[in-house]
Amino acid sequence: MPSQSNAPAGWRPRHGAYWLIILPALAMLVFLYLVPLADVLVTSITDPKPGLDNYLLLFTSTSVQKTLLTTLRIAALTTFVALLLGYVVAYAMRAANSSQQRLMLFCVLLPFWISVLVRSFAWIALLSSRGPVNAGLMAWGLIDEPLPLVRNETGVLIGMVHVMLPYAVLTLYANMRGIDVRLVAAARSLGASRFQAFRMVFLPLTRPGLIGAGTLVFILSLGFYVTPALLGGGKVLMIAEYVAVQINDTLRWGLGTMLATTLMLSVLAALWALSRVLDVKRLFGA
Amino acid sequence: MSDMRDRQNDIERFVHNTEGKVYSRRVFFGMCAALGIAPVAARLSPAMADQKELVLVNWGGDAVRGMKASFVDPYLKKFPDRKVAIDGTGPSTSRIRLMVQSGKVTWDIMDRNLHTALEIGPEGMLEKIDYSVVDRSKVRPEHAVEWGIGNYIYAMVLTYNTKKWGGEVPTSWKDVWDFKKFPGKRAFRREPDAVLEAALMADGVPFDKIYPIDMKRALDMHKKMKEHAIYYTVIADGQNAFRNGEVHLGQLLNTRAWPLKQDTKGLYDWTWNEGVSWGACWMVPKGAQGGKAIWDFIAMTQDPQAQAELLKSNGYGPVNPEASRFLDADWNKVNPGAPENYAKMLPGGIEWYAKNATAARQQLIDALSS
Repeated sequence: MPSQSNAPAGWRPRHGAYWLIILPALAMLVFLYLVPLADVLVTSITDPKPGLDNYLLLFTSTSVQKTLLTTLRIAALTTFVALLLGYVVAYAMRAANSSQQRLMLFCVLLPFWISVLVRSFAWIALLSSRGPVNAGLMAWGLIDEPLPLVRNETGVLIGMVHVMLPYAVLTLYANMRGIDVRLVAAARSLGASRFQAFRMVFLPLTRPGLIGAGTLVFILSLGFYVTPALLGGGKVLMIAEYVAVQINDTLRWGLGTMLATTLMLSVLAALWALSRVLDVKRLFGA
Repeated sequence: MSDMRDRQNDIERFVHNTEGKVYSRRVFFGMCAALGIAPVAARLSPAMADQKELVLVNWGGDAVRGMKASFVDPYLKKFPDRKVAIDGTGPSTSRIRLMVQSGKVTWDIMDRNLHTALEIGPEGMLEKIDYSVVDRSKVRPEHAVEWGIGNYIYAMVLTYNTKKWGGEVPTSWKDVWDFKKFPGKRAFRREPDAVLEAALMADGVPFDKIYPIDMKRALDMHKKMKEHAIYYTVIADGQNAFRNGEVHLGQLLNTRAWPLKQDTKGLYDWTWNEGVSWGACWMVPKGAQGGKAIWDFIAMTQDPQAQAELLKSNGYGPVNPEASRFLDADWNKVNPGAPENYAKMLPGGIEWYAKNATAARQQLIDALSS
């Protein structure tokens, strides 16, 4: 619009103009994301024949149920461990001075820039029976036989916690930064011990952060594919890999899309439930 | 399994699904072009077939060079006016189905395996082998079927660490299941073929009673095995697990066990005993344009000397038993097709897998998952 540069200072484009700007992105989202997604939904209720037969498998197929239970169990354990470790790191970051904080933040973010695939292979190298961890423990005489740390559920947990930790730390840190530290000081001045001040004042104030970080980590953990496939030694089957097997190998697309749909609906439900308790937008920094 | 389905049903559903895929592929290529990654799209889209040029599709890598030297070059020497192109992108089942159903068949000869030929041949995806040109008698009877003719042999073999147990080494699957006598981590592939057979052999089932496979019996054996084993999905990953000392015994493809032995200077070795042998084969997609040239080419690849060369360059076992005469004793040691080695192995049950592979894979995965 050549006239735009001559527009008076008070000129405001109508709302329509904003829509025009986001139109390409919107069109791309619709065609590359929403249309295929709708196709997934439709396939799940039409393949091999119309109806809810695929969804019935959630209640009748032991194979599907076992995979779902494994997924829930591993996601819950990952969430628990990531929250525990993340809380400690976030707490330390809050207490550190600003240059230390910057260094800590950098270290937390560093793994984000390395592909999950590379990280998984690195864990295999580190944790395998002849890797440095087992070799070190054996050299110190702490163990006689190498510990089975990888190619099993333990390995999957270690790998997943590693990936999830930054999410937990950053969410908790954002929450802790908003807490007025003088409240803890006030509790101390009123005779509370250090531990009491933490437990009765600080910990309750970080509850929104814990709920937010927990939900975020749990939701992201549900969809893990590469980490369990590589670190699980072929024995830890989570829902994402199960879907991939149905789509690529057994060609039961109805079952695969049903599980994908179920996963998506569960995540949306979890987010909705979270939004009842917390201001989700603020939690994720919007 | 309760949710096992009728195969015919699966096929019809696949036809339905892939038709949807053809459409979205076109859209996908359109988008690629729009986004400026046209070269990739151009490489993937089927080229117009030259009437005189045969297109041989195999799995890429060293196989392109090996098959060119052993098969294509001698063929071109005999027919200098013809042309052969090797496409290493892999004739997977879904790609074959897409191509045949779209009606634009640009491939002529595909490097695949016999149980796939028996699986998709009856669906109308393949041309029948012209046995008036191709010589059935140059392969063992189990390596010639209506829609496929064996081109090389590979085997899943018992591979082991030679130094771990003070001079003792495992020689049978029974030993692999003996966790006291041979302590250490095992490796198997997370695919049913050869993995189920090994379990049955360990449980004392003789070769001639393996098929039809007793799924429950085989899976019960693997339930005992799984805490002691890793189940790899990518073969290179399995090979690597041996090489870096993570596993000490298990099942590996013979073409991987051989470089493993060389890389580790004999720390690892394998035995042909109770291996499971499989026939790779040539298949021709329905509607292929190459005509008689296809059968001329396939007939020439039956030459024992050409097959002996392919063993030396790629480790692929000659399917023609005569080829072992062109190999010295050292080469015959690594040749799964040498009569003395072949006799120790179980020929994989291609008829059984043509019907049961999908259900068996799902059941194995369910049994192994925690």
